[in-house]
Amino acid sequence: MTRLHHCVRGAAALLVLLFAQSALAAAVTVAVTTRAGAEVQDAAIIFDPLDATPPPGHDKAIIDQVNKTFVPHVIVIRTGTAVTFPNSDRIRHEVYSFSPAKMFTLKLYAGPSKTSVIFDKPGLVVLGCNIHDKMSAFVGVVDTPYFGKTTSAGVVSMDLPAGRYRLRVWHPNAAAIAAQQIVVAAGPLSIPLKIDVDSAAAAVAAWPE
Amino acid sequence: MTLRTRIAVTFLLLLAAVLAAALGAVSAANRGNAEREVNRQLDVGASVFSRLLESNRRQLTQAAQAVAADFGFREAVATRDTETLVSVLENSGARIGAALVVLTSLDGDVIAASGLNIQAGTPFPAAPMKRRSTVDDSGITVMVDDGRIYQLVTVPVRSPLPVAWIAMAFELDQKAARELADITGLAVTLSVNSGGRWSDAVSTIPAPAERRSDVVSRRIDVSKWGNAEVVAILSRSLAEARAPFERLTRVLFLIAAVSLLATGVAAFWLARNITRPLQDLTRAVDRMRGGAYDVPLDLQRPDELGVLADGLQLMQTAVQTRDRFIRQLAYQDTLTGVMNRTAFSEALDRALAQSAGLPIAVAVINLERFRRINEHLGYSVGDAVLTKMAARLAAVPSVNSAVARLAADQFAAFARLPDSGNLLHWGTSLVLALADPVFVEAQPIDITATLGLAQSGAGRASSDELMRCADLALDRARREKRALAVYEEALQPAARDQLSLLGELRRAVERDELRMFFQPKIELKTGRVAGAEVLLRWQHPERGLLGPAHFIPFAEQTGFIRRLTRWTLDHAIAQGAAWHRAGQALCLAVNISADDIGDMRLDARLASLLTRHQLPPALLTLEVTESGFIDDPVRALRMLEAIAALGVSLSIDDFGTGYSSLSHLARMPVHELKIDRSFVQGLEADPESAPVVRAAIDMGHGLGLKVIAEGIESEEAALRLRNFGCDVAQGYLYSEPLPLHAFEAWMLGRERVPVIAVPVDFKIENLVETSNLALY
Repeated sequence: MTRLHHCVRGAAALLVLLFAQSALAAAVTVAVTTRAGAEVQDAAIIFDPLDATPPPGHDKAIIDQVNKTFVPHVIVIRTGTAVTFPNSDRIRHEVYSFSPAKMFTLKLYAGPSKTSVIFDKPGLVVLGCNIHDKMSAFVGVVDTPYFGKTTSAGVVSMDLPAGRYRLRVWHPNAAAIAAQQIVVAAGPLSIPLKIDVDSAAAAVAAWPE
Repeated sequence: MTLRTRIAVTFLLLLAAVLAAALGAVSAANRGNAEREVNRQLDVGASVFSRLLESNRRQLTQAAQAVAADFGFREAVATRDTETLVSVLENSGARIGAALVVLTSLDGDVIAASGLNIQAGTPFPAAPMKRRSTVDDSGITVMVDDGRIYQLVTVPVRSPLPVAWIAMAFELDQKAARELADITGLAVTLSVNSGGRWSDAVSTIPAPAERRSDVVSRRIDVSKWGNAEVVAILSRSLAEARAPFERLTRVLFLIAAVSLLATGVAAFWLARNITRPLQDLTRAVDRMRGGAYDVPLDLQRPDELGVLADGLQLMQTAVQTRDRFIRQLAYQDTLTGVMNRTAFSEALDRALAQSAGLPIAVAVINLERFRRINEHLGYSVGDAVLTKMAARLAAVPSVNSAVARLAADQFAAFARLPDSGNLLHWGTSLVLALADPVFVEAQPIDITATLGLAQSGAGRASSDELMRCADLALDRARREKRALAVYEEALQPAARDQLSLLGELRRAVERDELRMFFQPKIELKTGRVAGAEVLLRWQHPERGLLGPAHFIPFAEQTGFIRRLTRWTLDHAIAQGAAWHRAGQALCLAVNISADDIGDMRLDARLASLLTRHQLPPALLTLEVTESGFIDDPVRALRMLEAIAALGVSLSIDDFGTGYSSLSHLARMPVHELKIDRSFVQGLEADPESAPVVRAAIDMGHGLGLKVIAEGIESEEAALRLRNFGCDVAQGYLYSEPLPLHAFEAWMLGRERVPVIAVPVDFKIENLVETSNLALY
């Protein structure tokens, strides 16, 4: 917490700079560790701009099914992104979601998926395979173009225009973390985050809205 | 205790001991068995119970998982389609008969429920799960709600991550408890702890009142979870568990009692079967002891008792045979086969008892000179003669086999006589039967039989009496050399009661009942009285005057003669001395018995008497029979010499009847011989005795002795004796023995009137010698 206060104080100082140098982009790096200091992979980092409305846009994304596993396990996409679910296994899978953000079922199939699924509402979508209970994947649907996912080193870097942001962090096995405001100035910004990861947690962590 | 009781009681006690031991062992084992059985049953019950719970859990889990995995259900969960959810829950619960199915959120709030009246959105009361709690699938979860106990299984609903819980439960109700009880045979109770107080939620025990104290139970913790602390109590009544064993024990007791009874009856029967024949045998043996040998002893049994009875039968026969033989020996004469004396006496006694007044005649028969047959012809001939004689006697019809052999040559027979007059006739028939010569080995042997006859009557009622009388008659017949004699009263010996005689004799001496009689002795040459013999008489107070024959022989037999002799000597010497003092020197002769000679003090006593009464020894003569010095001649001789030395004369009495040797006689210090009266009396009748008398007289003179003859009853005898040279004579011719006064009177008359004795056989041719006749 003490660190977080430092961060906030540091951010306040940056805000002054931001006003001075507007429309400048800055490299922001977020490092996520456990309280014990271990790097946390697949943590979704989402920056919601507070000062400007981000331009609309969507993307395409792929979640493959390899060896009865969704790859990747966690993706974050912009609202309206179409995601295809190719099947690299030789067995069939039936991808489904009962998440309110996007409910769908891809009936049993094999090989490359013919259809893609457009995630048109922000929120967390939990994917499963109807015939393989162990298979699960998470699709975070956001309205902002600024988001990322920590690498195996527990860091994610992106360029953000200067300004104020709301920073959301989510990890499937972590307890919900409160969103925080971030001010991005001209200089590079490094944001360390500590989260509690419980790999044995039965239920998925709530999606930060 | 009888043999029968002993046998039976022994068997019964033995069996009772065995049965008691067996029953004790069985009931001890049963008690232990029941407890072990109950404990084993409880172990099994506990195991079954836990398997039941496990089975329930698996069933619930499968059913719940099936629901949770259903895609449509998950979709309904995702969409919170409550009505659909409730229907699905009801449906799935009904499939396995679950009591309740509840869907809750991950936080435990009820989403939908079946079988449980609970509002959606309220927390599930027994939900163990929290959003992040660890769910242990192997645990058995128990919920208590409204006093009902539920076995609960909770599984997550995944889509694919857990989004909700499904709790599915069976109620552990009475039915479940009953099923468990039926499977395990135990009473099942489920007890719940609510606020520290245990209460039975479910029980197969009908009512608490019926709960027994002897219950063995096992507590199984079903759940220790806070508000649902539940235990299962499996129990079994020991009494109930023991019941089959107790039934078995009762049956065993019954069997024991029945077998005891049966054995008792059998033992008594068997014992009786043994002892009854034993009693029969005992009675038979008792009868045998009494002499009955005709007791049937055949038990008709094949066993040992039968053998015993057969043995006793054989023994009875053997004893009977021996008894018969012994009886023969005891009652039969082995040689002739006729009765012996004993048997004859008994038979005679019986006949007397049955005679009914009719006379019974007895004959005692003696075969004369039978010894000579044995001696000359041999014993075998003698035996043959005896046998034939016995057979002849037995063949006499009237005798009817009542024949006995009494001694070697003596037989007896008795017969019933038709009347008393026939005795002699009967005796004659016997004599005739025995008269013919007996042929032995074709050799005729003459046998003379002498009979003594007696017949029953007054004083002859017993066989002893009768036979004694017949004996007396026989004696008479033999004495008189007749073929037969009949008993008469006169044959009875005079003094029968000699036992009292001794006492009477003593009294006679004490009371002075003895009398001296004097018989004069006459000098044949001169006719002078040479002296007198002193003879004893007994003035018996009842029987009158008794001669010496009545008591002297008895006194000699009993030794009392010495006393009599002392008395006689005393009185004779005193009388002799009195006469001597009166100027009448009469020589007195006193009889001395053989026993007196044996008296060592006889000489001293004589000397003392002679001195006391002042009688010259020459006036005393002691007459001694020859038997006096036969017993101990040396001692007798010494005594006689001592007496002779006193100056007392000695005379040999009854000379000629004894057997003393003449050489002996020559050495005897005697002075005279007294020739026995039998010779003198024969002088008249028997011409042959004269030379004997003469020879005796000559011999006496030859030895220098004076010769006396006694028993002279006739003048002729006196004359002859005088002719033979006999010195002195004594006899009735001169005087019978006279009492003192009569004798003194006789003496006086004698002196005054001389008598010229003329011999009876005086003949003219002898007159020449008349001048030589002495004046008496």
